[in-house]
Amino acid sequence: MIEVKNLVKKYGNFTAVDNISFQAQPGEIVGLLGPNGAGKTTTMRVLTGYMPVTSGSVKVAGYDVTDDSLEVRQRVGYMPEQVPLYPDMTVEAYVLYWARLRRTKNPKQAVKAVLEQFQLLDRRKKLVRSLSKGLRQRLGLAQALVHNPPVIILDEPTIGIDPKQVVEVRDIVRSLRDNHTVLFSSHILSEVEQICDRVVIINNGKIVAEGTTDILGEQTHSDLALYVHIEGDKEQIQGLLQQIPAVSDVQAHESGFIIRGNNDELRHAVMQLIAEQRLELLEMRPIDRRLEDIFIKLVD
Amino acid sequence: MQATWLVFRREIGQYLGSPLAYLMGAAFLLLTGITFNNDLTLSIGNKPLEPALIPSLLASIMILFAPLLTMRLLAEEQREGTLELLLTAPISDSSIVIGKFLSAWAYFSILLALTLIYQVIAVSIAFPDISHVLGSYLGIWLYAGATLAIGTLFSATTENQILAAFLSMITLIVLYFGDAISQIVSNTQLADVMFNLTLRGHFMASFAIGILRAEDLVYYAGIIVIALFIAIQIVSSRRWR
Ligand SMILES: Nc1ncnc2c1ncn2[C@@H]1O[C@H](COP(=O)(O)OP(=O)(O)OP(=O)(O)O)[C@@H](O)[C@H]1O
Ligand SMILES: [Mg+2]
Repeated sequence: MIEVKNLVKKYGNFTAVDNISFQAQPGEIVGLLGPNGAGKTTTMRVLTGYMPVTSGSVKVAGYDVTDDSLEVRQRVGYMPEQVPLYPDMTVEAYVLYWARLRRTKNPKQAVKAVLEQFQLLDRRKKLVRSLSKGLRQRLGLAQALVHNPPVIILDEPTIGIDPKQVVEVRDIVRSLRDNHTVLFSSHILSEVEQICDRVVIINNGKIVAEGTTDILGEQTHSDLALYVHIEGDKEQIQGLLQQIPAVSDVQAHESGFIIRGNNDELRHAVMQLIAEQRLELLEMRPIDRRLEDIFIKLVD
Repeated sequence: MQATWLVFRREIGQYLGSPLAYLMGAAFLLLTGITFNNDLTLSIGNKPLEPALIPSLLASIMILFAPLLTMRLLAEEQREGTLELLLTAPISDSSIVIGKFLSAWAYFSILLALTLIYQVIAVSIAFPDISHVLGSYLGIWLYAGATLAIGTLFSATTENQILAAFLSMITLIVLYFGDAISQIVSNTQLADVMFNLTLRGHFMASFAIGILRAEDLVYYAGIIVIALFIAIQIVSSRRWR
């Protein structure tokens, strides 16, 4: 469904995407994971026919993006990073407009169905400008799905919305799996792990890792980072933490420390220390593995 | 075709649905109304009514009005990012540009048609030369099409609406008064040639005085085609950046 081979995209002399290749099969959600400036948006813009390739070949839904741009565009649903809106249109008119431009059969019915799916039906007469950020995000998804395209490309759909709505959007994306090929970009590792079947990690325009999300987990799971806050003298506590054999690294963070070490033993060792030294534990929580950490690990 | 129609319909909806458009429409009617009324008062018992009065007035007004009407068309789509969705929809770039241009021209046509009310009044009291009147309306309609096409062109060049309006105003002023330059160097031959290249040269010397010439129709149609062609190239080039 999506076949990218040796894709290179340059802006003038600057190479934003540097010889990447990956595939996505029908029924698969593939995550495009990378920090800011990695080249996620650029890749997606090439896939949607918005920008040409500099070199390499890209096939979407069986058609080449360079030779059969219109065929590709007919079969792709795209939600750009910033949801493009017409503030003065009603919700219904907005989706209907895109449905008709993409030659959807029975456009009115399709619009009704998609508005229902995204719980926007009761707001269909509202002006787009009056929608909250989360609803706008849903409208962006509705627009991308209304013509029931086989391939769906979503550029960071969970950015800038509140946690409850993030969960909503993730559920929606997961529900698309059965009938579509989905390419989903993000810079949040845990999100990609939750939603995607496969992940392509890019950095500085190059692929640094690719595989199922399980493999990604194994590669990076062995180390755990914990935030611990223990009552008492900071220096003394730092010393005690450093003495734990399972701990490989201690860093001051907020009013406590971030410790890293072996996943299986770390918590236990900390609890033991607390009990032995009769300390008071104020807080202990795992720290989300940061993408940067993983890059460091993967690049090593 | 289908896409052009869809784009056109959305745009005309924007014109007819926005308060700004109504303000502009009201200003347009007020201005033409006052001019007509003045002419009417002056004329009584003195001179016949000027048949091309309102079209002649509009010829100069369009230099300001066309940029205001068209500045939004493509600049706003670029700023809001909706152009990215349009360019990734299965439609041609020309249908976007042409649909937008036609909507501006249609909106202008509605306003122009409203000024025909004055002509009805004029006919009932002063018996002007109706073919002269209608000829001048045809002329200003084409003339406006040309200015709106130029406005559409500059709206495609930038995402800044004010800049788009400014650039098209400058272009229209040059196209309108271009012959003034040759008048300054007082070369009458050059002035003649230049006058024939200007927007008003093809209006004042023909439509305004009751003459219909093929060359004038070709001139305005030519400007429309060239300006839209360039606008389409600019929109397409965004795809390749
Ligand atoms: N139109 C452009 N012209 C020139 N350089 C660009 C253009 N668009 C992006 N870039 C550069 O290309 C690189 C990749 O950008 P891109 O937007 O694809 O990254 P991204 O992975 O989407 O990042 P983010 O997470 O910030 O959205 C960046 O260094 C960016 O500055
Ligand atoms: Mg991006």
